[in-house]
Amino acid sequence: MADDVLEVDIWEGDWELPSVDSDCLTVLAFSKFCGVPCRAVKRNNPVWTPSGTLPVLRADGKSVSKMSEMLEIIKKRSPTGVTPQVGPNNADVKAFSSLMEQKLLPAVLHTWWLDDQTYVDVTRPWYAHASPFPLNFYIPGRLHRTAASIVYMAENVDPDNITKAEIEAKIYKDAKECLNHLSYRLGEQDFFFGSLPSELDAKVIGYLAPLLKAPVQTNRLINHLKACTNLCTLCNRVLMRYFPLSPEEMELKRKRDEETRQKMQIDSLEFPNKKRNILFAALFAAVAMLSYALSSGIVKFGTENVNNPDYADDDYNDDDDDDNG
Amino acid sequence: MSSLVAEAIQTELAIERWPDDVQFFQQYQVEQITLPDQAACLSVKTFLHMCGLNYREELRINAEEMSPSGKVPFLKVGPFLTSEFEPIVAFVNQRGFSISEQLDDAQRSEMKAYMAMVDNILVHAELYLSWVIPDVVNEVTIPRYGVGQPQPLSWILPRLKKRDVQTRLSSIGWSKKTFDEVCEEVVTCCQALSDRLGTNSYFFGERPTELDALVFGHLFTIITTELPEMRIANIIRKFETLTTFCSNVDKLYRDFSAD
Repeated sequence: MADDVLEVDIWEGDWELPSVDSDCLTVLAFSKFCGVPCRAVKRNNPVWTPSGTLPVLRADGKSVSKMSEMLEIIKKRSPTGVTPQVGPNNADVKAFSSLMEQKLLPAVLHTWWLDDQTYVDVTRPWYAHASPFPLNFYIPGRLHRTAASIVYMAENVDPDNITKAEIEAKIYKDAKECLNHLSYRLGEQDFFFGSLPSELDAKVIGYLAPLLKAPVQTNRLINHLKACTNLCTLCNRVLMRYFPLSPEEMELKRKRDEETRQKMQIDSLEFPNKKRNILFAALFAAVAMLSYALSSGIVKFGTENVNNPDYADDDYNDDDDDDNG
Repeated sequence: MSSLVAEAIQTELAIERWPDDVQFFQQYQVEQITLPDQAACLSVKTFLHMCGLNYREELRINAEEMSPSGKVPFLKVGPFLTSEFEPIVAFVNQRGFSISEQLDDAQRSEMKAYMAMVDNILVHAELYLSWVIPDVVNEVTIPRYGVGQPQPLSWILPRLKKRDVQTRLSSIGWSKKTFDEVCEEVVTCCQALSDRLGTNSYFFGERPTELDALVFGHLFTIITTELPEMRIANIIRKFETLTTFCSNVDKLYRDFSAD
C-alpha cells in the first residue's frame, strides 16, 4: 500500500451510487469534498473487520472504523483551503448530525431492514448477492438483527404497553419532521454552508442518496423525501459533480438497460407461443396417462368380455359356488 | 405512543387553556431522584416557568410507574397526562403558549437540531455516568433508586432498571465506550453549545426558547450534583460561557431551582 493514498474498505456500489451503504457513502463523499484521493476496495465482508462493520479506513498501517475518527483523518490530509469549515459551522454540523442520528436513522434502518417488502425484494437479495459465499447466508440476517435492536431498543419503552405499529408511526413521523428541518436549513443554497460542501453534506448524502436511487417501489419516507425537492437536488448535484459514472459503468448501465429491454421484448414475443407450449404439454401428458392406463389394464374396453363369454360365465359360476359352499 | 393518541384527542376537544390545578409529578428530590431524571424534571420546570405557567409539584415514590411513558416528569392537565420534555412542549404549544414563535423556520430547525444533540449526548452521558460507572452506581444511584421501597424490592428494582438502561445504551453503541470516550463526546457537545451561544444571553437572541430550558436543566443538574465521579461536571465548568449562562438562568428562576 502506498503511504500517501488512503484505502477504504466498502460495500460496493450499485444503482449509480459509489456505495449503497450510508456510512461508506459518507466517507467516500467527504474524501472527494476534501480533495483527498482514496482507493475504495470493494470488500463486501464486514465479518473480519475490527468492529464488525464497514467502512474501514486504512492509513499509515492503522485501521479505523469510527466515523468521527475517519472524517478527522481525511480532514487532516486535505490540502489547505479546501474545507474552510471552522467556528460556529462546526457546532451546526454536530447538532444536525445528532438530529439525523436520532430522528432519521431509525426510519432509514426501518425502511431498509424491517419493512418486509423492501427487505425481501431489495435489501436481502442485494447483500446476499454481494457478500462472499458461505457468509451470504449469515450477513443479511446479522445486519437485520442489528437494525432491529437499534430501531426498537433505542426507544426504551415497555414492550407490553406499545405495539410495533405505534413505534413505526412515531419513527416515521420524527423522520419526516427531520427531513423538513434539513430542508428548511438548506433553503436555496447549493450546500448546507454556502457554496462549498461540508461534513454535514456528506452525512446527508449518505442517508438520502441510497433512498432516492434504490429500486424501492413505494415507501412513506421516500415519498416524503421526493417532496423535499431541494434535498433531492442536493443529492443529484453531489452525485453528478463528485461521482460521475466512469465509461465502464456507463457501458454496464447501458448494457443492463438493453438486457432488460430485450428481456421484455422476448417476453412479449413468447406470449402466444407460451400458450401453445402449455397446450402441447397438457396434450402430451393426457396421451401418456391414457396409454399407461390402457396398457396396464386399469381401463378395459367392453369388447374383451364380449369376445370371451365363457370366461365371464366361469366367473359368475365360481361366485355362485362360493355362495353355496 | 400514548402521546400520539392524546394529540388526536386534544384537537377534538374545546378546552380551557391552562386550568389552575395542573399537577407536576416527580420522585422525591432530596432522597430519591437520580441524576438523569432530575435533569429532565428541571428542564421541564424551567420551560414552564419561562412560559409563565403555574403548576403544583407533587412528589411520589412511584412517579415513574405512574407516568404514561414510564419516564418522569409528567403533567396532569385536566384529564390529560403528558410525559417527557418534547411531548410536554408540544402540548403546551397546542394550548397556545409558545416561547419560540418569534423564530423563523430555519431557526426553529436549528433549535430542534441542538435539542437533538443535547438528547443524544448529554442525556446518554448522564445515563452512562449514573448507571455504568461502578462507583457511582453502587454508592449513589442504586441506594437512591431503591429508597422508599420495602426490603426485597429495594434490592431488585434498581438492578432491573440498571439492566434496562444498559440495554438502551448498548443498542446505540454507548456501552462499548470507555469513560474517556464519553468525556470526549461531552467536550464536543459543550464546545458546540458554547460556540452557538457566543456572547448572547440566550441561544436565539434576547428571549429564552425551549432549547435554553433544556440545556439549563441538564448542565445545571450535572454541575451541582455531588458524585464520586466529577469529571463530566469539571468539563462543563471549564466552558465559561456555559457556566455564566447557567448562573444567569438560575438567578432569573431561583425560586424553584434553589430547592
